[in-house]
Amino acid sequence: MALIVSGIGVSRGIAIGNVHLLNRGAPEVFERKLQDHEVKAEIERFQSAVDDAADQLRGIRDTIPEDAPKDVAAFIDSHLLMVKDSMLSKVPIEIIQEQQCNAEWALKQQRDKLEAVFEQMEDDYLRTRLNDIEHVINLVQQILKDQQFTMQMKLQPLKGSIIVADDLTPADTVVMQNQNIAGFITELGGPLSHTAILARSLGIPAVVGIQSARTLLQQEEQLVLDGSSGMVLAGMDEATIKEYRHIQREQKDAQRKLGSLKNISAKTKDGKRISLQANIELSEDISALKKSGADGVGLYRTEFLYIDRETPADEAEQLNAYRKIIRVLKGKPLTIRTLDLGAEKEFDPEYQGPLTQNPALGLRAIRRSLKDTDLFKQQLRAILRASASGPVRILLPMITSDIELAQSLTILDQAKSELEEEGKEFDADIPVGAMIEVPAAAISANIFAKKLDFLSIGTNDLIQYTLAIDRIDDQVNYLYDPLHPSVLKLINLTLQAGRRADIPVAMCGEMAGDTRYTRLLLGLGLQEFSAHPSNLLEIKQIINKSKLAYLEKQAKKILSTTVPNKIGPMVDALNE
Amino acid sequence: MLNKDLTVVNKLGLHARAAAKLVALASNFASEITIQKENRKINGKSIMGVMMLAASQGTVVNIEIEGEDEEIAMNEIETLFNNRFDEAE
Repeated sequence: MALIVSGIGVSRGIAIGNVHLLNRGAPEVFERKLQDHEVKAEIERFQSAVDDAADQLRGIRDTIPEDAPKDVAAFIDSHLLMVKDSMLSKVPIEIIQEQQCNAEWALKQQRDKLEAVFEQMEDDYLRTRLNDIEHVINLVQQILKDQQFTMQMKLQPLKGSIIVADDLTPADTVVMQNQNIAGFITELGGPLSHTAILARSLGIPAVVGIQSARTLLQQEEQLVLDGSSGMVLAGMDEATIKEYRHIQREQKDAQRKLGSLKNISAKTKDGKRISLQANIELSEDISALKKSGADGVGLYRTEFLYIDRETPADEAEQLNAYRKIIRVLKGKPLTIRTLDLGAEKEFDPEYQGPLTQNPALGLRAIRRSLKDTDLFKQQLRAILRASASGPVRILLPMITSDIELAQSLTILDQAKSELEEEGKEFDADIPVGAMIEVPAAAISANIFAKKLDFLSIGTNDLIQYTLAIDRIDDQVNYLYDPLHPSVLKLINLTLQAGRRADIPVAMCGEMAGDTRYTRLLLGLGLQEFSAHPSNLLEIKQIINKSKLAYLEKQAKKILSTTVPNKIGPMVDALNE
Repeated sequence: MLNKDLTVVNKLGLHARAAAKLVALASNFASEITIQKENRKINGKSIMGVMMLAASQGTVVNIEIEGEDEEIAMNEIETLFNNRFDEAE
């Protein structure tokens, strides 16, 4: 008989496999009173269990593949810190001494105390962190009881099975991934749990929050798990399984097809070549960049060189960071955006000021750079020197007035003459462009287009400023609308200005990475999309199936429609 | 002895990874570092202690530092808070 249960899908993909039940959880703990002479040995037993737990975690951390996201190691690291924390490693020893009880009981008492504190917390995210503490405590309890599940799992043949457990720790997830499991189901946990986050980054289909999953599902029974909808099917007939195998194959094919587009260039059916560029920030993005088949980097954010650290990177360190990407790009262009710091992310107390009411309208981006010209010049010098190793473009954020542009270009000229005097190499004709992200800049894009080598539309800020809404304010963010007629007009004005001045116009905001808008943007005349590397292949697939002539005609109709709420359906019709 | 009120400005509050950063930083100093929120007072070098403060975005905590390197410790801890524990929001 078929059984359908549903939980919370936390990691996409369909898994078909046989159940492997993990019956464990918090081991049952009983109190035992100790004789005086037993206390010392009990403390040693506890200490060695804590050491073992730390060793196990360290060992598992070492098996994390190098290309795995940073999060994976960070979770294991925070568990390591917890194991060694005096609240876990020392307080139970005091309890053993005071109460003359066994280590398990002492640890349980400390656990109950911690749990009481966490359960009173009002903040969901912080309260969920009790999970992490329980994972660590259970690991120590298991070692004390000599039930080392995580390590035992390493010895079991799990390939292709669907793990069903009450809960899994991040460490379990890493071990399972190495054994090629098909997916997992847990009774506890939610989308915010670290195990869920890990499953997503490791690409394991997973459903959590199915209460009593371990009684509903039987060992070795065949299951279908859909990590998107959170649905789990058991006891299906052959036809149903066949159907799911088909869907699974289709999903995998779609993935593969996207992969096969990597070495094909983006070109509309009527032959227009479109440039697809990547937005990158941290070094983790480099591996995604390599897989994306990008035509270059359209936006390299440099804030990490300033704020994720104790002091800003000096010229030499910046130069190194830029050269690293240039090497990966092998002759494709790298667009470096100069520092886009705002009042809300500042490293220099001198510029911090009082927390302003309106940081988005305050001293940020190019305004900040023009206040601290030494720092700005240092970055420009590093960018210029990098341009000796490969094609580099400079992108100035948040340009609003002609004066800001003139000042920026003056400082660039100073940097160039300094380098010339020092005999350092650079590209004398390095292209300079501006982000068009303030409505004023979009309206006057023709002025900037005449003086620059390229423009790049930053839709996130452009939309926020045009519609006067703060995207992170939950009360108004429903008003955030890339299809608002005013937003489309500003995008169109900028693209027109670029065509008239015969310079390229790119778009690097989130709108460029959202496939819903790809065809509309093509129709408006966008020829350079810059988006997160993981979105590029999907965008390419759409471009390669599009006819530009038709889209241009439709885009004109959309721009001139007088009924704003028809724009959404018109845009969606382009995608049918 | 130094004493200062700091506000947690990052979106997720003092969760595990932010707490880990704070504890790792605090452990570099010889001074005793305690953090107080309302009437709960904890050791700034203990990750569990810091997590138990349940300091969500907007919470004000009082940092007390006593020891030979108290000034530099206060300085760096304040910077970490102001930089949102190096998180994006």
